[in-house]
Amino acid sequence: MRTRFGVSALAVGIIVTLCVVSLAVIAGQVSSPGPAAARQTAPAPAGQIARQASGKPDFSGIWQANNTANWDLVTHEAMPARVMQAGVHELSPVPAAPLLALGAVGGVPPGLGVVEGGVIPYKADALQKKKDNFDHWLDRDPEIKCYQPGVPRAMYMPYPFQILHGSNKIMMVFEYANAQRTIHLDQVEPYPNDSWMGHSVGRWDGDTLVVDVTSQIDKTWFDRAGDFHSDALHVVERYRMLSRDAIWYEATIEDANVFTRPWTIAMPLYRRLEPNAQLMDYRCIEMVEELLYGHLRKQPLVRTWEGQTMTVSVERKVPPPDVLYER
Amino acid sequence: MRSTARFPFYLGALLAAVTLATAWEGTTVAAQQRAAAPAAKAPRTAWGAPDLQGLWNTNTALPFERPRDFGTRAMMTEAEHAKALADLQERNQRPGRDSREVGGKPGVGTEKDVARAYNEFWFGDKPTRLSYRTSMITDPPDGRMPAYTPEAAKRIADKREFLAALLQGTSGGKPGPISPRRAERSPDYNLDRINRTDGPEDRGGPERCLGDNLPVTMGTGTFGGVMQLVQSPDSVSIYYDVGQGQGFAWVIPITNRPHVPKSLQLYHGDAIGRWDGDTLVVDVTNFSDETNFRGARENLHLVQRFRRVDANTLQVEFTAEDPTTWVRPWTAVQDLERADEKTTLVLEGGCHEGNYGLLGMLLNTRAAEKAFAEGKGPDPATQDNATGGGGDN
Repeated sequence: MRTRFGVSALAVGIIVTLCVVSLAVIAGQVSSPGPAAARQTAPAPAGQIARQASGKPDFSGIWQANNTANWDLVTHEAMPARVMQAGVHELSPVPAAPLLALGAVGGVPPGLGVVEGGVIPYKADALQKKKDNFDHWLDRDPEIKCYQPGVPRAMYMPYPFQILHGSNKIMMVFEYANAQRTIHLDQVEPYPNDSWMGHSVGRWDGDTLVVDVTSQIDKTWFDRAGDFHSDALHVVERYRMLSRDAIWYEATIEDANVFTRPWTIAMPLYRRLEPNAQLMDYRCIEMVEELLYGHLRKQPLVRTWEGQTMTVSVERKVPPPDVLYER
Repeated sequence: MRSTARFPFYLGALLAAVTLATAWEGTTVAAQQRAAAPAAKAPRTAWGAPDLQGLWNTNTALPFERPRDFGTRAMMTEAEHAKALADLQERNQRPGRDSREVGGKPGVGTEKDVARAYNEFWFGDKPTRLSYRTSMITDPPDGRMPAYTPEAAKRIADKREFLAALLQGTSGGKPGPISPRRAERSPDYNLDRINRTDGPEDRGGPERCLGDNLPVTMGTGTFGGVMQLVQSPDSVSIYYDVGQGQGFAWVIPITNRPHVPKSLQLYHGDAIGRWDGDTLVVDVTNFSDETNFRGARENLHLVQRFRRVDANTLQVEFTAEDPTTWVRPWTAVQDLERADEKTTLVLEGGCHEGNYGLLGMLLNTRAAEKAFAEGKGPDPATQDNATGGGGDN
């Protein structure tokens, strides 16, 4: 059937069940020089950075990473989507159905890694789990469920966070999910349990703030590429002012259950310089209610649920200018 | 069968009732006197600002509204205070569980009593000290909430009718048939416990982990807790560890910028702080229509004042104003005691991450519907899952 002006709407329906989405391309752990070179940056001249009355640097402000570490800590090329399915050629997979409609905005931006040495030193079985996590990103990434991100992931998510450098506590408040953490500069009791944002105790090494992070639950990830840890995670962070408006941030990650040795990520954190910079809401709990509880509604809103399996119907009405004229 | 009712927040009403009956908070006469005459030199931070930092205990038994017997008297007499203290000490000896009368008989051991025992774990230490104050509300002079505007009264009555309709014909509601209104949408963005669990939106705000509303008025259904206040030269942050995992962070910039445009709604409002002598004054506007503070929603305007009245007391006062809700502004005051920094645990919220309660309520309701369809159980629409124990029939 054809119409004179070719304006009939074309409905494309693709139905794919999430649990079937499996063929994904793992970005290889590409070796890269890593950010070690930047560590050689000379310390900022004294007096140019904000300092507390004690003479120590004052990290107060609204900060944000500007990199792709939250997508993948290691060097990675651009991808059409974080989860793919088979296409017509093994080199041309297509985005998995739930992501297909997003087109170019659902892609993974490329990035040079932030891991020193370029490789995360997984134990063999842990590497398998990481790859499995990658394939099942949509089902497993705690970020998708609006769970608190843990440390260090909170520090390089694509949202601003605020540091309040107080007298004996440093409080960090994150726009994402209203997550927060307190760095104790004073003596406190150990945390009695594992938690999503961990227990942080800070000390000074010259002008560098060194933070020991323990008591983290095993359910957080490091990025959207399935990089994970166990409840034996121990993170040591180092914060150093590069200039008034940039912090050099490093985190050494130790977890004998998952990695063969400690490894380090490093990156700058930039001050948000907008005169009206302030934290806003990214209160995602409500945003994910359909995802988490939709299968338990009396009347389903999303097309179909079978048990906990969501079947996503990608229907797209192609507007007239996009329809090829056909005689 | 009340399969979906096992969640603690339905006890808010109970707690409020207990709190109202317990007319005291934890300061002394001496503290009252110090409050009247602040220390000549309030503590300062290293950068010279008034220092409000620390952990402040938010557990209090001071009633929000004044018991009517006190009239316009804001403070108890010595005799009243002595009797109140004796009553508190006597009450503290009782087992903590809800022992109210149920259907005119002693409630101990009833289903309602047992259901509410769960909450006891979360109440924290029982307050042992008493303020001379008779209510948190200091203005209007009778210590009671001002009247609702006609507009708000209608809004609230409409919602009450809807809540009542969903309970009709159950043990906790009016007699009658199951109401056709069960199929209706809530007249507002629902944050109440309603007797329906068709989807997550039918559950109360705290059950959905959306209970992080300002202002936090301790001891009136929030299960007490602690607040951690940290300052930097240009901001103040408060982490409220309150309400069984509803803990949340609130950042107050110290700035003279104007408020964000009216169109922008924020769950914790747009806070602008300034120093007025030793007092932190915070002006909060731009609330969200998905919040509810005693009937006020997006038009709430709060002015909150924080000041140290002595080494161990942080006074928190707020004035709430909303011409679409109340006929006049009103003011409430709380005196928070300093908590020991070494031994007081400030716990992460994590409500959403561990929200098995909401999952269970939805699952159980679907299971009850299935059982009913198979002739194995009562119609869930005839059950009371909203009033916290129902009629105990």
